[in-house]
Amino acid sequence: MVVKDLHKSFNDFKAVNGVTFSIEKGEIFGLLGPNGAGKTTTIRMLSTVLRPDSGEITIGGHSVQHKAETVRSIIGVCPQDLAIYEDLSAMDNMVFFGRMAGMKGKEAGEQAMANLKLMGLQDRTKGKVAKFSGGMKRRINLAIALMGNPQLLFLDEPTTGIDPQSRNHIYDNIERLQQEGMTILYTTHYMEEADRLCKRVAIMDGGQIISMDTPYNMKSQIGSPEQVTLEDVFLKLTGRSLRD
Amino acid sequence: MKRALYITLNEVRLYLQDKGDLAFSILLPIATFALMYGAFGGHTMFESTAVIVNEDGGNYSTLFIEQLDEIEGIDVELQTAAEAEARLERSDLLLALYVPAGFSETLASGGKAEMVFKQRGNGGQEGQILASIIRSVAEEMNKDFQVRDQVKSVLQGTGIPENRIDITVQQLLEEERRQPAVGVVEEVVGGSPDFINQFLPGIVTMYVLFALTIGARTIVEERKRGTLERLLTTRLSASGLFFGKFLSSVSRGFVQTLILLGLSYAVFQLFTPLSFLASLVICLVFAAAAAALGLIIASIARSEDGSVWIAVVFTMIMVMMGGTFFEVSEGSILETVGKFSISTYANEALRAVVAEGGSLGNTVRQLIVMAGVCVVGLVISRLTFRVLPGGK
Repeated sequence: MVVKDLHKSFNDFKAVNGVTFSIEKGEIFGLLGPNGAGKTTTIRMLSTVLRPDSGEITIGGHSVQHKAETVRSIIGVCPQDLAIYEDLSAMDNMVFFGRMAGMKGKEAGEQAMANLKLMGLQDRTKGKVAKFSGGMKRRINLAIALMGNPQLLFLDEPTTGIDPQSRNHIYDNIERLQQEGMTILYTTHYMEEADRLCKRVAIMDGGQIISMDTPYNMKSQIGSPEQVTLEDVFLKLTGRSLRD
Repeated sequence: MKRALYITLNEVRLYLQDKGDLAFSILLPIATFALMYGAFGGHTMFESTAVIVNEDGGNYSTLFIEQLDEIEGIDVELQTAAEAEARLERSDLLLALYVPAGFSETLASGGKAEMVFKQRGNGGQEGQILASIIRSVAEEMNKDFQVRDQVKSVLQGTGIPENRIDITVQQLLEEERRQPAVGVVEEVVGGSPDFINQFLPGIVTMYVLFALTIGARTIVEERKRGTLERLLTTRLSASGLFFGKFLSSVSRGFVQTLILLGLSYAVFQLFTPLSFLASLVICLVFAAAAAALGLIIASIARSEDGSVWIAVVFTMIMVMMGGTFFEVSEGSILETVGKFSISTYANEALRAVVAEGGSLGNTVRQLIVMAGVCVVGLVISRLTFRVLPGGK
């Protein structure tokens, strides 16, 4: 994925202001930043939901602006907020989104079962999602993003508000997916997560990327990488003032 | 297109899961229908039971009772003299008809026979009406005897067998009853002769418009749930999503219509098979127009409450302007304003088919207007629809 000089404004507010970066195939790339930094707006543009005011985005060699449908056939999105039909069963949710990703009925059913198993939900396939715990819902949210075998996965804070067990289960799966060759763009507020999973990270603030490097190099810039955490780097770069 | 149909199917599945929604869209039309049936069901004409004491039991008394029983709204109850007397005594019965013994024999021998009304006081209002109906049947029978006697006296000595005269006279009298020389027809001024015919189209169109309220909510709900944004990162196009939602709204409106019209067909026998199909076509086009308008509301509304309120206000205005529950006088301001309501066209078309016995050919203008609203509504809603502000 190659992103060049991306801009997006809402009325007078510049949400994204000249963002440029690229992600290698098979890489987990972290996009970090405080609330309102422009991470979600950037992901929305990358995933074809929002149209950029200017700039270029290319995914797998296809322009997002001109070949949106082709791009949508190779991406998977796990949004920050749960985006599932709580009145339906886990299986029905999975099959439905599989169909939307262009899969046939039997194929969608098989992959749904495989993904539910991957997320440790194989015993709850028929249960209504509304009755699931927060962690289970998060895992379903992620499992849906995997329907259709995407080459590039957008994970927007996939571990928010869940217990350490579910979180670690998600980490393990992300690492497994990366080993299988999937490219992942990951946003999170948990710096240890980014440190553990991401090969490179970009820190955004005020709609711009203010730093981009490997977590190790970033930590090296302010001290010994063994003693300094990514959170220290983050706070140093973005400041300690509260954000809305 | 295939993915649009999956959206519709998913919507139907969600609809079946939502008990409140299901109750609103299916049980409410049935409840309304039950109320209509309670209020206007069966017949609005006079209904009564004629208590008859048949002490004769001969051919003519039996024929008389059969003729009385054939009258719509009149039930005949045969009782013994003792039973009738006892009921009259305790005011359980206000009027009973006695056919005395020898009634048939007297008539057969060419004599004059009599029946007797026994009543408490003046027999009550119902009794008086019943007595008047019984008298008219007796008069009819009397005329038959007079005609038969006159014909026999004219043909006396011609050698024609008496039973042949009887049969021929009987056939001629029946022919006369079917096509009387002097007939009376009913011409109703100021609307349909039947309340159901008058109100059913309005109730059907009102329910389809309520379906619009639910339809308007679906996209807003989808947006609130986060699935709208997610869906549009899949291979589903925005137009596909839109068309899927449109089809699901049409289906909901149509299912409600089907329930109401189906019950009206089964219970009130308001339709012929052809007029039933014509009504379904009209309702389908109307549901499509209403769904398209619902999508405009869904496109501009930013919250679930907002969409519901806009749709409810819109529905009520349409219902009022469309003359759903009252006749709109010709040349009135309301008639002019009503031209801007799609309910007007749906009501006109349904009344033409249900109340006036017309065919689809009589509703072409209304169908074209509704189809036009549907197309324009779809175009406007698609142009105004945004997943997110500034988005696609």
